[in-house]
Amino acid sequence: MSEHGRSDPAPQRSTNGFDIDPYYDGPPSSASATAPPPGTYPFTRGFNDEGYRERVWGMEMYAGFGDPEQANRRYRLLLENGATGGVSIALDLPTQIGYDSDHPMAAGEVGRSGVALDTFSDVERLFEGVDLSEAGHVFTTANSIAPVAYAWVYLYCQRHGVDPASFTLQIQNDPIKEYVARGTQFLPVEAAVRLAADVVLFSHENTPRWLPISVSGSHMKQAGASPALEAAFTIANAITYMTEVEKRGLPLSEFNPTLELHFCTEMDLFDEIAKYRAVRRAWSEIARTRFGVPDDRMAFRLHAATSGAPLTMQQPTNNIARITLQVLAQVLGGIDAGRTASWDEALAIPSESAAITSLRVNQIIAHESGVRNTVDPLGGSYYIESLTQQTYDVIMREVEKIDEMGGSIAAVYNGYIGTRLADGAYDQQLALEKEERYVVGVNRQVQDDEVKPPRFKIDESSEQRKIEQLKAVRASRDDSAVRTALLELERVCRADENVMTAVVAAVAADATIGEICDVWRAVFGEFTGGFQRA
Amino acid sequence: MVRTPTPEAVTHASSRPHIRAIVAKPGLDGHDRGAKVVSRGLRDAGVEVIYTGLRQTPEAIATIAIQEDADVICLSILSGAHLSACRRLAEALAKHDAASIPVIVGGIIPDDDIEALAAAGVHAVFQPGARLPDIVEAVRRAAGGQS
Repeated sequence: MSEHGRSDPAPQRSTNGFDIDPYYDGPPSSASATAPPPGTYPFTRGFNDEGYRERVWGMEMYAGFGDPEQANRRYRLLLENGATGGVSIALDLPTQIGYDSDHPMAAGEVGRSGVALDTFSDVERLFEGVDLSEAGHVFTTANSIAPVAYAWVYLYCQRHGVDPASFTLQIQNDPIKEYVARGTQFLPVEAAVRLAADVVLFSHENTPRWLPISVSGSHMKQAGASPALEAAFTIANAITYMTEVEKRGLPLSEFNPTLELHFCTEMDLFDEIAKYRAVRRAWSEIARTRFGVPDDRMAFRLHAATSGAPLTMQQPTNNIARITLQVLAQVLGGIDAGRTASWDEALAIPSESAAITSLRVNQIIAHESGVRNTVDPLGGSYYIESLTQQTYDVIMREVEKIDEMGGSIAAVYNGYIGTRLADGAYDQQLALEKEERYVVGVNRQVQDDEVKPPRFKIDESSEQRKIEQLKAVRASRDDSAVRTALLELERVCRADENVMTAVVAAVAADATIGEICDVWRAVFGEFTGGFQRA
Repeated sequence: MVRTPTPEAVTHASSRPHIRAIVAKPGLDGHDRGAKVVSRGLRDAGVEVIYTGLRQTPEAIATIAIQEDADVICLSILSGAHLSACRRLAEALAKHDAASIPVIVGGIIPDDDIEALAAAGVHAVFQPGARLPDIVEAVRRAAGGQS
């Protein structure tokens, strides 16, 4: 070693705040810590001994911008380049918040952080030339608007002769976290959860292969949660949703195989690998003890995305190294599928070439690194098992604490979750500024950039074009059919019936997303606040 | 509407015991980690912060700033809508004779857009990697420069 003895202390503290030993020479002292083999309860090491030996994790490239034609071109490019994760649709903010593209609140935001969708014909344009069965999966971050997004794809299958069993639709459909970490809510929490459950129940009955909910921690992590808290709060929310659907007749023992838990992966390799293992263990134990799920229904879908938070504007090509480590961490954690950010994404939507590079990162790890040759390769590592145990302990302790508050919705209302996130974010910022945490290019190896990445530019005319398309749909549809459909939607909302049949009918009559969401605003009351402490 | 000073305000903003800053989230972007970290950082530095919460129109932010007799407005924007938000805010402030309230912006803002933001009256722009001491300094400078 030729460092000339220069002192450069490592932070020696995990991102969870766990103390780290100089070395580990044995398994964790807790008797329950020895992880049984993959396929054995509580499945810390995985749900089977197959892992990636026969199938690779799904490589999902989240994309969307402008109007449906523009987004469509990007999806086709990604599919051609190996996006086995299918069509992964980023929706613009007006769409996500249930505003039509010509709503005053949408001005300047249409097609900016995702694709703008207003009516069913937009979805047809979005999928032009894409064989959904071949693509295998469709994903969208529809949360507050999940019933509409589901209805769009459901109707698409009907009108275009696609067998819903030939692919999976995955809808994020997790409104609770919006109130503390993402901010697209527009209804009171209870109403939003009721609608989320409507989607789950309808999907389970009509499209049982689809994944109608992806309970997500990734946004809470990016809002400041540590990996362990990310896992804990996600699981607390999953308990809330699954309790709700069970009350309405769908037990977890039936639904669990189509439940998705979604997380993000940041930079501490080991904290993240341990987290994914701890999640499998914690959720399996909760599924068994609280919900009576038998072992053969334990395999839920474990999903991840590489977090955008560590990506830097400074020296952006460094982000390729970051993305590589993040993907490596999540596959060593054993995810089923993962989204990957792109190296130029700190400042803009990914360019085509950057998005392809992210696919290549996944493909290189899959095909060149040997990581697929055995299941849970780091299982048995004393460090990993110790971190897994500690993370699991935090999860179970926080879930119990949240139970005592009355569940995760109560923990949102009383500010507990929001405060933990805000504290975490502030602590991280101070640690960065005090150099207790390093980011290369930001507080180490800072230098002027010669390299400016090709910045992807939104086509500024797409907002106006989208508005014209929307007006054309409004002009050509049968207004009385729309009115009838919206009245029926209002009726089922007030009657506490599942809204999905009415939403599908509304979408089929070319009701706009704004019109549908306005029914909910009228019935349930509009609520746009959070429970956040600044 | 003429900007009416509150009873506590004195003739020169910098002779007030502390700076009053609005931290605002214009438009539809719901990611408020930055806004909250900045709010807390400013408060720790002795600045009085009024955080507007999410989904404010630029016009509403101008109104809040005027009603609160703010010395500076800090916008946090991550959605790419910063140019239209800042232009609309500048218009709203001017319409209410409050164009002298300085505006600072932070978020996902590419270098290319900094000049256009300055043309829209923005005093300082912070990009990813910004540090709290620099933001505090910019707030103090902007507030102190007010006449």
